[in-house]
Amino acid sequence: MNPAVRRRAARRSGPIGFVIESVVMGWRWLVRMRTALLLLGILALMTAVATAVPQYPNVPGTVEAWLAGDQGPGTTVSQALLWIGAFDVYGSTLFLMLLFALFLSLTACLIPRIRAWLRLVRWSQPPLARHRPDEVPDVVDEDPDVVLDRAERVLRAAHWRVRRPEAGEAPPQVAAERGLWSREGGSLVFHLSFYVLLIAIVAGQLLTFEGQRGVIEGEPGFADTEMSYWSYRPGRWFTSDDHAGWRLDLEAFTVDWIRDPTAPGAGQPTEFRSRVAVTPVDGEPFTAEVAGNEPLVVDGRKIHQLDWGYAPYLEVVVDGEVVHAAFITTVAGDDGIFRGAVKAPAAEPDVGLAVELYPYAPDGDDGIPRLTGAPWADAPVIVYEQWRGDLQLGATQQLVTELDTTALTSQGWGFLRPGQDVTIDDVTLRFVELKRWVGFQVSHRPQIPWLLGGSALLVAGLIPALYASRRRLWVTAVRDPETGRTLVHVFGRAFQRPEAFAVERARMRAAVLDRS
Amino acid sequence: MVTDLAALSRVLYSPTTIALYFAAAFTLLYALTMSVGRHDQQRRGELARRVGGGLAVAGITTHVAHEITRGIAQQRLPLGNMFEVTSLMALVGVVAGLSYLTWIRRRGDLNGFVLLLGGLLMAFAGLLYAEPGPLMPILDTWWRPFHVSLLVTAMGIFAAGFVFNALFLLRDTAELSVAGARTATTRGSTVGAASIEDLDDIDAALEGDDDRVHDVAYRAALRAGVPAGRLAVGTFVGASTVSWVFLTSAPDTASGLARFFSINLALVAAALLARWLVPFVPSTVTLDGLAHRTIAFAFILWTVGTIAGAMWAEQSWGRFWGWDPKETGAFLTWVAYAGYLHARATRGIKGRPAAWIGIGAFVVMMGTYLIANYVIVGLHSYAGL
Repeated sequence: MNPAVRRRAARRSGPIGFVIESVVMGWRWLVRMRTALLLLGILALMTAVATAVPQYPNVPGTVEAWLAGDQGPGTTVSQALLWIGAFDVYGSTLFLMLLFALFLSLTACLIPRIRAWLRLVRWSQPPLARHRPDEVPDVVDEDPDVVLDRAERVLRAAHWRVRRPEAGEAPPQVAAERGLWSREGGSLVFHLSFYVLLIAIVAGQLLTFEGQRGVIEGEPGFADTEMSYWSYRPGRWFTSDDHAGWRLDLEAFTVDWIRDPTAPGAGQPTEFRSRVAVTPVDGEPFTAEVAGNEPLVVDGRKIHQLDWGYAPYLEVVVDGEVVHAAFITTVAGDDGIFRGAVKAPAAEPDVGLAVELYPYAPDGDDGIPRLTGAPWADAPVIVYEQWRGDLQLGATQQLVTELDTTALTSQGWGFLRPGQDVTIDDVTLRFVELKRWVGFQVSHRPQIPWLLGGSALLVAGLIPALYASRRRLWVTAVRDPETGRTLVHVFGRAFQRPEAFAVERARMRAAVLDRS
Repeated sequence: MVTDLAALSRVLYSPTTIALYFAAAFTLLYALTMSVGRHDQQRRGELARRVGGGLAVAGITTHVAHEITRGIAQQRLPLGNMFEVTSLMALVGVVAGLSYLTWIRRRGDLNGFVLLLGGLLMAFAGLLYAEPGPLMPILDTWWRPFHVSLLVTAMGIFAAGFVFNALFLLRDTAELSVAGARTATTRGSTVGAASIEDLDDIDAALEGDDDRVHDVAYRAALRAGVPAGRLAVGTFVGASTVSWVFLTSAPDTASGLARFFSINLALVAAALLARWLVPFVPSTVTLDGLAHRTIAFAFILWTVGTIAGAMWAEQSWGRFWGWDPKETGAFLTWVAYAGYLHARATRGIKGRPAAWIGIGAFVVMMGTYLIANYVIVGLHSYAGL
């Protein structure tokens, strides 16, 4: 008997009724698959924009070049893109709203589905066949009950849900069903894993920490404390007490390239590896290696080797007074030249040096260095340009590796090799020695295991959601009153993957008839 | 020795494998047209099927030999630049497509289309050709074969799914047109209205052979149901949504235009060939099922491969996801194919709209694959040019 039809509640009127009706209508709209598809489409569109338009968090330089009109479609379009937030799609309010709508739609979709699924798992029984199919039956000499008992055994052994009708309920048969929970259940697990991922990502944003710091080989390193990082990006709930406090020094750094210019892949790096000494707060110091793909984990902090450069030790003396004596870190540009700067505000007026370091610049026949783009330091030379005036430190935003020359005047330029010095007017410049520095990233991401778990759930749900198929199989056996033999029907239907079911049905038929 | 191997691998790739794939494709497609008809025709078709199968096996053999010699010549797995990825994508598409059709679905008559796809992909790889060379050390880790091979496999199978979706749309268009014409003018006659003119053209020698006349007319009607001009223009425009990348990235305008037009015109030719074969392809239900099964399988691989990529990124770059152009592209492809799978499960959208979403998802995959390597420089740029 069919269950009673649920009657629709009376239409509510008045202002409260209007609100309730609107919410109900909105909810119904959210539950629809079309809505989910529309939201997925918008997500795809926004992602497409983020693929085509440079994103500020990834390539700030390119975005600025677009806005300045040096690259891209021109300033008018770039301003429009900026206005709609296309340069930072994933940080935009629109994206957050879309994400919220997607999860709302997902939730609206899932609640009735989970209820239906639980009902299905708890109450569902294979439906009974009322009629035999209009097919040619298999004819056997066994008793119908023997055939049906074997069918039940075979189907149970193959993990089917099996039902035998009560006497008189339906014609003698074995009704079976399979794939009832797994397909829908897998789909539910797949969709629920997005909540795990979302929670892990949001919690991760709050609890994470990421800091970067350069270390010169053989020189004192740094400790894991708030003050020692060059760039420091803590999550909102990460406090300075959460630092582990260990100390890291760079003992040695190895880098090499394919140096033969005729070999395939000439100039490509072949090795990039640091040997570091770590001193925990309490515990024995130890040495370890950090290389590409091989980060070091200390006290739950992951240490990556991100970049490297040359670090010349430069001494600047003005009127016999040392105004700068330190390593400067140079960074390789796209052209392969290592650039850095010396800023000495202690002199009066300020002294600034723009430094370009060429690692391999052997002397030519005329004694002048021949500059090459090769990165190995077999014949290093720096090309310096000396500036005097006002460095404008603190007045303008500037990079460590670049001078702001707007208030400076050039005093001339020249070459300098390690161990050499040069004097221009009252300024003596000395290139003492050349070392290298390595940029380390220290990160703390407690969300990683949760993300992995969420991803595992996602895949674990996806496979049955796409591969399990729900199918029903019936076996009937009746005695033919004319011949006295038994007529057996094995029939069924598959809700998905009918072609796989055809094979399965043939196999089950052979097993039921004991012909396998 | 090593340069000899490199030269050998090049010869194995072009012309050997490309030629074998196309030869196998055309022989098998010819066999498909011979699968219906009179007894002597069917015998010829059977012969063509065997020859085509042999050519296909030979093509796969030389392709595998090419990958091996290239791998030995450069002392690493050939998975490092776009040429190698595209070539492997073709190999996976051909091997997976042929195996699936032949042994699982028992629809070996469609093998010709898969080989046509393989030939086109291999020819396309030639536009991205790079000499064998060593690998960046940062890529030299077991993560790379794990992550890249999963995604390349998924790409190859997505490509096969694209072929089935395209055939589905062609067949569906043809059938709808014939059905529409029937109900409109001839009221249930087996010969469509669109074919009445074609009937006049049929050789008089065939008269008297009623079944045959009907078959030929029906085929002509199916073909006429897909307007050739619109198909050609549509394919050209559709291919341009991806091939424009070569206009902006080529070293000079002439070679950019040459690449652009060779891709587009090759696809237009393939589309017109498929139109001519539309009477011989199986029913829309079968084609839709084939597309869905292949895409569902590749979707799982794509998901696992992308997760593996995030795990590698956390290990190598110190962040698991950074919306790098390639990551964004992988995510976009994933969303597009998720859209296809959802669309196909939705009443009112499944069928033609879902198939169009599937076509769009493939365009998205190929587009992001090229754009992230040629147009936008990111951490994943490894075009090797």
